[in-house]
Formats: sequence, structure tokens, C-alpha cells
Amino acid sequence: MSAGRDTHSVADARRRLSRRQLLGHAGGLALTAAALPALPGCTGSGTPRSRGASDGDDGPVTIQWWDQFRPLTELFENELFAPYSRQHPNVKVQRRQLDAPDLAQALQLARRSNQLPDVHSIAGLQTSAAALVATGWFQPIDEFVDLEGSPVGQYLYDGIHRFEGRVYTFPLFSGQWHDGTPWLNTALAEQAGVDPAEVALTWDAYRKVLRQLTTKTPDGVYGLLMPMQEPGYLGSRLSTFAQTAGAPGSIDWRTGEYVWASEPFFEAMEYLIALQRDGVIHPGSASMAPRDARARWAAGQGAVYMWGPWIIGGLLVAEPEAVERGIAAWRIPAPDANDRGFIHTEPASGPFWLSSQSQHPDVAADLMLQMTTDRFLTLLAGAMDQPPIQINLVEEADVHEAYRANVEFMRQDVRQAPVPQIRNPDVADVLVEMQDIHPNPGEIVQAVLTGSESNYRAALREYNDKLTAERDRAIKAARTKGAEVSIDDWVFENWDPANDYDQAKYAEL
Amino acid sequence: MDHMTATPHRERSTLRRLREDWWIYLFLLPTVVGYGAYTVYPLVASWWYAFLDWPGFAMRGTFIGLANFKLLWHDDLFWNAFTNSLVFLIISVPLRVGLALALAIVLNRPSTPFRGLFRTLLFLPVVTTGAIVGVVFTLILDADGPVNLALVKTALIEEPVNFLGNAGTSLYSAIGVWVWKWLGITLIYWLAALQTIPHELYEAARIDGAGPWREFRYITLPLLVPFLLIITLIDMVGALNVFDLVMTLTGGGPAFSSEVIEVYIYRTAFQATVPQLGYASAAAVLFGLLTMVLAVLQAIGVRSVRRGMAAR
Repeated sequence: MSAGRDTHSVADARRRLSRRQLLGHAGGLALTAAALPALPGCTGSGTPRSRGASDGDDGPVTIQWWDQFRPLTELFENELFAPYSRQHPNVKVQRRQLDAPDLAQALQLARRSNQLPDVHSIAGLQTSAAALVATGWFQPIDEFVDLEGSPVGQYLYDGIHRFEGRVYTFPLFSGQWHDGTPWLNTALAEQAGVDPAEVALTWDAYRKVLRQLTTKTPDGVYGLLMPMQEPGYLGSRLSTFAQTAGAPGSIDWRTGEYVWASEPFFEAMEYLIALQRDGVIHPGSASMAPRDARARWAAGQGAVYMWGPWIIGGLLVAEPEAVERGIAAWRIPAPDANDRGFIHTEPASGPFWLSSQSQHPDVAADLMLQMTTDRFLTLLAGAMDQPPIQINLVEEADVHEAYRANVEFMRQDVRQAPVPQIRNPDVADVLVEMQDIHPNPGEIVQAVLTGSESNYRAALREYNDKLTAERDRAIKAARTKGAEVSIDDWVFENWDPANDYDQAKYAEL
Repeated sequence: MDHMTATPHRERSTLRRLREDWWIYLFLLPTVVGYGAYTVYPLVASWWYAFLDWPGFAMRGTFIGLANFKLLWHDDLFWNAFTNSLVFLIISVPLRVGLALALAIVLNRPSTPFRGLFRTLLFLPVVTTGAIVGVVFTLILDADGPVNLALVKTALIEEPVNFLGNAGTSLYSAIGVWVWKWLGITLIYWLAALQTIPHELYEAARIDGAGPWREFRYITLPLLVPFLLIITLIDMVGALNVFDLVMTLTGGGPAFSSEVIEVYIYRTAFQATVPQLGYASAAAVLFGLLTMVLAVLQAIGVRSVRRGMAAR
């Protein structure tokens, strides 16, 4: 079923080739043939495959580009779009930066009115990229550029970047990150007599230091900011804490079962309740979204804010004084410093995709390709958003020490988990079928911390049972529609939580 | 001659009327097009969408009959949002209408000092964007905010109350903010209504020895009843359009405690893992139908009360 849809979208993309592109291809072919002896093996070198506007097409071309990366604004404008426009004077790039939820909404509306930008990220669209590919959102990028041979070629995965043998996107950022790093206001830490260099490695030590940061700082300053208005944030806190306590993530990959109602999750919930009982969480947290919490942290109302690696990049754009004042990263605490669980993430997805509605896919793809150079990836590290796919570039990049330290912590703590749709692309059909279950873990945490739920064990058990039943139903529905999928696709017997589940592991199956 | 005198009285055919008065229809066209495109079409379309299984990522949906309605009927969160919307309506409308009337009576008196200033101050929130009001009130009602500070300092409460972050208070806090924001416009309606009552009636009542209460009870109130109906209707419509305020104040939380039906529809249509446009449309349609049923029941009730009063 999905195979049919993918083939269809590829065929669509091919049909959309305009006369200009066709001539471009023909011209490109002729040029390539002529220059063949001089080219040091074109295939696999990360070069454009088509000519089009990128090779001097004279018609004006405007590329629309939508994403959510606020810290990357300057980098994109100065190091990507401007040089490209200088090189191709007929090409203009218009970028819109939106918050992830707004972006998701705008994309859905734009798609139905045939106004999708040429290039966009899929932040906020919480479904799998495979599902979007299957429903014809994108066109393959390898139609126009050769990514397999680019510096990011080795990071391309079937089911994540490559579908039905066609490359649709490429990873720009490393998948080795989590959003639970405690970011410390060092100025407040010093006031409270806390040494920023002394990382609180255990849950107990973390609680103690948060109490100290609450009691030994001026009135109105609290140890921790916890944006409780956003269930997604709370769900992530629960999950990352549970994983440091030994949870394998939301699924135990050895059995394929959901484990939201397991002991590590209960322990993590108890820990969050304990933090609230300690009075270290800012009392206004309940009505804060993550960006509000970051602003409050920047304003000095909270000493610690747990968030992702992008915080410094964002602060430099919006509140640079908060970075100048002093910021440090701590390693996410675990119940036992000597027996830490790993945090599991999927291989990095592609942040940017080429829309199936793009009128200039060759130019857009060529522009995207410019992001794969070592120079750009090093600059990307310097912007201090998510670390780049070649994470070692952070060492050479001009970054804040706290950012560098955090990248090192994440290297130690994060491992790549298996992904069922890499093993079997038909899993995407199940994901499309699955309906949300409410209250979800984030909503349960919210209910517990705001006093409307006390029996969190029962609530998590109910969620786990309903989610399991929903997956079973979705598998059945997907099979009815022709997908070849079963619950076994979620079982990875050769999974070792302490190691990355890489391409070789899939090959062993 | 006979023929000519008979002509003006003869019914003109539709075609002839269109031909002769074409300019009337030309001037009507923008309104008809605008109303059709932005009111009638979305209304009809949402009815059609309600019968579709339409994941937001797909270009179109597939017809599934009444399946969305069946699912909704068993969706606890839909009924939670439905109840929240009704609670919002039932509390906020009488509060807004009553409070505005009381203020209008005071501000309508020539003896009230600074009448113009107070009217302006009360009207200011009306012209402020709902989303901005929402954002500002998250700070004002914060546990560390000025409201809590004042309540704690005056010993009215011991511990700060998390008005928006507590499941027990979030909806009522949103109601309070909404009433505050829109009070000014209802006040204007009432002031306009009060100014339609002839002064002579009050003068005559005073000569007959009526005090302020009797003036209100026997002159003001009966003459305001027709206005009360229309003002209540306008405010009821307003109370069902609180999306911007609730989204910025609480986002429908915590734990769905302030999730009104519009937020539910938005969440289902745009924020679900797989957005469900058909399901969200069905929720809107079902809510509309249920509200309509309630409105009809209310109208029947009002009519029977009126008949009872007339019979007495």
C-alpha cells in the first residue's frame, strides 16, 4: 500500500518537471558528457544533478523557506541565502521563522491551499516523516542533487531519510541530544553558595542543590522553572528522568511492549512530586509555556531550567545578557550516579524537506545541498542550536563552554534506539492509523502537579493499556488496507540499551 | 391611457425586475459574495467534513457516515469541553449583563462624578486584543503576581493561589478575565438603552413619591426588558467565542480543566499526532446542534413564563 503511494509521489515529481528543467537536465547531461574526463568522479561527490536556476537560469526564482530555528536566523541569512543569491542573482530566498506549533498549523493549511513553501521543516507535525512521505507531502531530493556522496551521506537511513530507495531529506543535526539538561544561572548559583562546576549527579544531590538555590537567593527566586502549561514538556521530563532510572524509553525494544506503567516511570513521577513538595519549583510555572519559562529564567526568576541544547543559541538572539551574566550546563541527574540509565533517541530525522508543491525543486534542492559542507556544519555548531550531525565539529567551533560541556554530557548519556519503520516501512501505515490517547503521560504529570490527579499509577496503567490496544487496532486496520506489518516489527531482540542501534544491528535481524 | 395607468400596478416579472433594478443587485453583490464565502460556505463545508475521515495531513477525506459522531458521543474530553463551555456561558453572561447594568445605572446619573472618565476606563479593555489580555493576565494572576500579593498582604489568604495553574480555579479565572474584558461594551449597550427612557417618567414617579428602588423596579427594569433580551443574546454569542483568551491564559489546562469547546476543536484539528479534521468538524457540528437544542428549550421556557405572566 505504502509502496504504491511512494511510487505515485515519485512519479508525480517526475511529471512536474517543467520544460525548463528538462532542458536543464539535457544541458546538464551534455555538459557532464563534455566535462567527464575533467571531473574527479562526479557520483558520490555531493553535487547538483540538475542545472536549472542554480547554473545560471535567467528567470527570477523565489524560494520560500519555513522553519522554527530561531537561533539559526543569522546563519541562514548570512551564510546560506545571501551567498547563494550572490552566486545566483536571479534567486531570492524568503524565510519565515515560526514557533513549532504555529508552523505545524500553517503547513497543514498551506498544503490544502497549494501554498506550501519550497523548503520547510516538519516541526510541530507530530506524525512520522514516513507518513508524510506516504501522503505525498514531499518530492525526492535525489532527483536533483547527489546526497549519498556528500558529507552527510553516511548518515542516511531507510525509513527516515530514504523511502522506496529515494532520498527525501538528510540529517543536519545530530540525533544525540535530549531536552532535559539542567541549565544553571551561575550568577544566582554564586549568590546561593553553589559551585557551578560541581555537577549534582544524583537525584538527591539535585534536590538538595535546588533547595539551596531557592532558600539562599533573594525572595521571588526559585530553584527550578517547570513550564507546566505544556504537557509535551512535562511528558519529556517524566521520560528523561525515568530513563536515567533505567527505563528503556516508552517501549522495551526487547519485547516491543509499552512500559509507561513500569517502576522507573513511577519513580520519576515520585521525584517530580518531591521537587514540587520541596517548594523549589517556581509557583508561576503552572501557567508557563517553555518559552515563557526561558524568559523567566533569563530574567533571573529561576536558577535552573531544564531544556535542550538550543537554549544558548535562542538566548543569544532574544536575551543575550542572560548568557553574558553566566550560564552552565549540568549533566542530567540519575538516581544512582554509578548506575545511570541511558536516554534513547531515534537517529536524527531530516530537518528540511522539499515540498511536492515546489515550482523550483532543482533550485531548492541545490540550496539545501549547500548546508552539507563541513564549513556550514561548523558554522551550524557555532550557532548553538542542536549540535550538527558531525558532532565532533563542536570541538572546533566557536561555542560557549556550557554548550560544549552539554554536548559532551549528551555523548555520554544518549544512545540511538531502534526504529520500527526503518526495519519495515509499512509501520508508518500503523502510525498514521493510531489515534491519540488522553490523558497522555504529559497530561497526567500536569494533572498530578496541579492537584487534579493523585493516583498517577492507575492513570499511567490505563494509558499504557489503552495505547497497547490502540496499536493493536491500528495494526489490524493497516493490515486490512494492505500493509504487511505485525507486532513483531516492534521487537528487536538484539537491542542493547548501552549501545547505539546502528545500521549493522538492523542487518543482523 | 387606460393601459398606461394600469402598468404601475402590474406585478413585474423577476427577469424584468432584475433588468430594471440591476444596480441594486450590483451593490448587494459584495455582501452576498462575502457572506457566502466566509459564512455560508464554511458552515456548509463543516457539515460535510463532519462525515469524513480526514487526517489533517491528507488533501481530502473519505466518507464514513456518522462514525465521527458515534466516537464523539463516547469521548469524555468532548463532554468535558462541552460542560466547560456551558459553565462558562451560564456564569459569565449573567455576571457580565448584571454587572454592566449596575454600572450603567450609576454612570447614567448626572450626579455621578467623572462619568466620562469611568466610561472610558471601563471601555478600554474592550479595544485591547484578547490574546494580549490573556498574556498580561497570566502575569497578573501568577502566584507571584500583584493579585496574590495584594490578597496575601491584606491577609485575605495565607498562601498564594495559582488561579490559572490550578484545575479547580482555572476556568473561573478565565471567566473573570473575560467578564472584565468585555464589560465595557455591554455597559455601552445599557447606557444607550437607559437613554431611551423618557425623563418625564422619572419626574412623574418622583412627584408620586417613588424612591430610587421603586423607580428602578417599576420604570427602568420593565422598559429595559426588550434590551435585556438582545444584550443577553449578544453576550451569549460572545461567551461561545473565547478561543484567543483561553488559549493564551491557560491553553485549556491544567488537565483540561479550562478546555472549552473551541480549544477542543482546535486541539483535535491541529495539535493531535494525526490531526482529525472530520472529527473536529463533527465536534463543532454536534456542539452547535446541542446548543441549538438548549436555545430552543430556553425559548420555550421564556415563552411559557411570559404566557403565565400575561394570564395573571
